[in-house]
Amino acid sequence: MNENGKPPPPPDIGRFHENWIAFPREERLKYAGKFVAWSPDGLSIVVSGDSEQEVEEKLVAMGIHPSQVVGENIPPPDEALFL
Amino acid sequence: MTLRFRYILEGVSHAVVPLGGRWVRPRPVIGVTVVGPSNSRLRMALLDTGGDDTLFPESLAPLLGIDLTSAPSGTGKGVGLGPVPLRYAQVGLRITDGKEYREWTGWVGFTPAPLRYPILGFAGCLQFFTATFHGDREEVELAVNRLYAGT
Repeated sequence: MNENGKPPPPPDIGRFHENWIAFPREERLKYAGKFVAWSPDGLSIVVSGDSEQEVEEKLVAMGIHPSQVVGENIPPPDEALFL
Repeated sequence: MTLRFRYILEGVSHAVVPLGGRWVRPRPVIGVTVVGPSNSRLRMALLDTGGDDTLFPESLAPLLGIDLTSAPSGTGKGVGLGPVPLRYAQVGLRITDGKEYREWTGWVGFTPAPLRYPILGFAGCLQFFTATFHGDREEVELAVNRLYAGT
């Protein structure tokens, strides 16, 4: 929260997509099946967990507001997506 | 005028026969900022022309400050799933390709059904865009249409 008790505004993710798609595939595979929180520049995974709730709790414990990261549920590698 | 997003090439552990033996699955996944009454979250979501609605997991609603208790409801069905409940609310949505930004208000569904990715479907998202999926370039272009009332 900010000093005024309001959550911080969403971060700028203008560089996110180009960095996120370039993230090393082998490294990304290590997080398959996990919920991860990406840094707003898409260069690194800040924290991961088995669920969105677990990641939110870890972020708060780290002093990071959950609105300041990009959440992704990384799919298992051998699963074709039918949503 | 147009936002462009390259597909992510998702690594797989075996050759994908229907893609000629490639070892990746190209997917049109993009980042979206979801803004609720009291908070916001950023999520990676799948652009899905086959999706009737824009959908997020129900767990996201309270994080945005949305009370779904008396929200309009509906029912959805996905491949391999039985009917699943949907509850709808209006949120702010924002996307960017790093060069341009688009921000609008749309009705989205929240569901307890397991979603690999939130879905950017027709209602709430693609209704406001002309979407061109370039299969050869593995890239999607989004240009706002006359229904778009955002910024």
